[in-house]
Amino acid sequence: MINLRKSAIILLLLPCLVFAQGSAGIDIDRIKRATVFIYFAKSVNNELVVKCVSSGTLISADGLIITNAHSVLPSRQCDGDQIIVSLNVDLSEQPIPKYRAEVFNADEGLDIAILRIARELDGRLIAAGELPILPFVEVGNSSDVSIDDNLILAGYPDFGNRPVAITRGTVTAFIAEPIGRGPSWFKTRAEIPGTMSGGGAYSSAGRLIGIPTNAPLGGLVASASCRYIADTNNDGLVNSSDVCVPTGDFVSTVRPIDHSLSLIRGARHNLKVDFVGSPVDVAQPMNPPQASRFLFAPSVADGAPSTVVGSMPNNTKSLYLFFDYDNMTADTVYELRVTRDGIPETTFSLPPVRWSGAESGLWYIGSREQSWANGAYEFTLLVNGTSVGSQRIIVGGAVENRPQFSDIVFGTLDQGGALVGNGSILPLGDIASARFLFANMRDGHQWSAIWYYRSVEVARTADVWSEGSHGAKVIRVAPNGGLLPGLYRMELYIEGALSATSDFIVAGRPAGPLPEIFGNIRHTAADSLSAARLAPVSSTFPSSIPALYAQFDWRQIAAGTPWTLRWLVDEQVFFQSTNPWLTVESGSDFTVALPSPPDGSYKLQLLLNNLKLAEQEAVVGIGQLPIDRLAQYEGAILTGQVIDAAARRGIPSVTIVLISEDYAASEFEWKEDQVFALATTDRNGNFQFARPLAFDTNYSIVIEADGYIPHAADVFRFSADQPYADIEIAMVRG
Amino acid sequence: MQFDTGRSPAIQFTPRQRWSVAITYIVIAFGFALGVNQRDSALNQASEYRNLEAGIAALYPARWFLEESGSYVFRVRDMAHLGFKTIIEVSTSPVGPDTTERNIFDQLSLQRSQVLIDYTVLGYDNYRLADDSAAVSMSYSFVSRDTSPFLEGVSSIVNALDILTIRRGQALVISFRADERIYQAELETLRWFVQNLEF
Repeated sequence: MINLRKSAIILLLLPCLVFAQGSAGIDIDRIKRATVFIYFAKSVNNELVVKCVSSGTLISADGLIITNAHSVLPSRQCDGDQIIVSLNVDLSEQPIPKYRAEVFNADEGLDIAILRIARELDGRLIAAGELPILPFVEVGNSSDVSIDDNLILAGYPDFGNRPVAITRGTVTAFIAEPIGRGPSWFKTRAEIPGTMSGGGAYSSAGRLIGIPTNAPLGGLVASASCRYIADTNNDGLVNSSDVCVPTGDFVSTVRPIDHSLSLIRGARHNLKVDFVGSPVDVAQPMNPPQASRFLFAPSVADGAPSTVVGSMPNNTKSLYLFFDYDNMTADTVYELRVTRDGIPETTFSLPPVRWSGAESGLWYIGSREQSWANGAYEFTLLVNGTSVGSQRIIVGGAVENRPQFSDIVFGTLDQGGALVGNGSILPLGDIASARFLFANMRDGHQWSAIWYYRSVEVARTADVWSEGSHGAKVIRVAPNGGLLPGLYRMELYIEGALSATSDFIVAGRPAGPLPEIFGNIRHTAADSLSAARLAPVSSTFPSSIPALYAQFDWRQIAAGTPWTLRWLVDEQVFFQSTNPWLTVESGSDFTVALPSPPDGSYKLQLLLNNLKLAEQEAVVGIGQLPIDRLAQYEGAILTGQVIDAAARRGIPSVTIVLISEDYAASEFEWKEDQVFALATTDRNGNFQFARPLAFDTNYSIVIEADGYIPHAADVFRFSADQPYADIEIAMVRG
Repeated sequence: MQFDTGRSPAIQFTPRQRWSVAITYIVIAFGFALGVNQRDSALNQASEYRNLEAGIAALYPARWFLEESGSYVFRVRDMAHLGFKTIIEVSTSPVGPDTTERNIFDQLSLQRSQVLIDYTVLGYDNYRLADDSAAVSMSYSFVSRDTSPFLEGVSSIVNALDILTIRRGQALVISFRADERIYQAELETLRWFVQNLEF
């Protein structure tokens, strides 16, 4: 029956098909379209007062945005409650506010937040599936980036007064901190305005590889950069009595995208981990942040200095500043200023950024595989705009064969006297052992070892060296009362000077050479915590369970010990959280939940000191994540206008059906599964398919409009050198 | 001088020629009628929808766009209409022993007020289904706006009608939405749809 009518369709080639100029290489227009401007505003007496602004980037067709956390999470500097998203409607004009967004997940320390567009600008909820397909960019891989690689930075250079800007630069340095694999920051000389913070940094292939990031000090110091843009106190004047919106200084640091991949993955699959009331939040410390024990090391060994140095020779390629810190929070803004012979050395300096560590511990900032010119360097650490300490080091001169200790590892001794264990976590017991390397020692040197438990000295060994010049040595400590759960530290001195230091954790009961800390991980499916504890334990679950619960038991973990909970789906991390241990030392049924998990293979991993101590897998449904049919990034953008052939005017509200490659126009039966995309013309007859058309793929178009002769066209095809097409379709009345 | 304006002698058809002319006219007329008929039947034909899992069978206007991937069982849209595309949507939901029709309508209103512009309930009424069983209806209106942020969208005032019946522990809601300018005319399509709906 349908085919009878179909035969009435007049198959015409589209009368006018005009392709826009294709551009080879990076697709700057796509980057611009995907760059958004974000207002973080607070509702005050039914008026929205802007508190912070930033740039952001659309990373999915369904409205996921990546940006800086500091500009969308409430804080002292930025106490907003509404996130307004402005889109780049016309590339040559200012962004236009279109939507409201919510924070889906965020990591304050990394200063990354993933937003999801949730409401229209007027506050109406956007129903599932009703958000139009939005332009987005593809997330790349920042581990492939090298020094001197080109960077393209995108963002809004002003308070929404100017169109999106593109700035080009190169990667000038990597900065390392203890926050995971790879560099913590890319440095670039392409300084961009503070309002571009949160935007995108792209590789020369056009992939998003980082987030330009700074941390405005607004509210923390009087001299911080900010702007008065509205009469927020209703006194008829816009002046210093109004809210000053922080902008931050110029941005020269980029947070590599690899640190955000788990957040992005979790948001894409709508996966949110619920700690079900388990204590993981850290109480905000009341005392001011502190930093102490500044020291330099040429390299890092398991998060600790490999050895402590007071100077470095010519051709130094690697140098790290270590320090102890206390009372830090994710709100804390820190900065490292480096000078060489009194002149600022921007390559190795770190501009103000958010603190990404814990409340207290050992931290380092440094770099490797980069040349340090000879000179006298001074490192000054600033916290919230105030100097908290500095340290000097001389780089230059010949290599000194000075005596040194290095590369400390901890463990227990087996019956043969060999050190066994995982290097930095020991079970409860009576004796802790440490092995370290020594070099250039002379018999007769005075040396000592000092052991600390929770910063309090518990043992000290002082002796005259008699082990020769090079080798490895094992020492032991047997504190009174045995090894208690908690954080230990050992320092090694030669002739009264610190030569090596490292920390280890004591937790769990002995299970051979390794500690048994976490255990009995089990999974259940239920709709509440109480039901989860009674539900049968299993490793396979059907699709569409209300929540996947994971429970585990633990032994002898001291309060404050940093531990990590990590979730993977299909072998990829989508959640990782490191927190101080806040509950009792030993117990059972620590519970976390994963509401509404889609089909997939889920694995819970528990870590201490970055060492995986336990894991358990559960399979939901078919054990594999569903395919996202909107994930296609590459392709042609098809826009155009439908006009009345006689009047030469645009026809509003005409729907253009783009039929998928599997069907010809003559086979189209007006069913959803045959359609690749739909577009409807606006008041001027203009339309745009937001979903990109795959290159070198045949599509068909069908248009039916009351009062006009239907159009149909087969073999609608685009090649990679035609990423944009603008077509005109003339409809004939009939 | 006189001119004789003569006339050609009348053509005299043979009986055979007369029959030929008559048959030609008849064939043309028949062909035209057949064409009109075919056109009408083509235009007025219906498509069939069956969903064994939901226990729903329906006829809907041919060349309306069928969708099944949303939160509904199915919906059809008149994509050829210039303006708001007329929609007929069928959805089901479980109900408890104490659930009333009004509870369901109120729940729908709460949800719609969050997502529709200027959502306004116009009234409630009784409705008679094809098998003469009773149903209830709720009429409402809202403003529809093309949601593409990159275009100058067209706004339309939409009138709508929900027809609700509860059977076998399930609520069946037929939602009908049309541009207010053609709402009354399109109601005939809804009546035809309801007449042919099996649930």
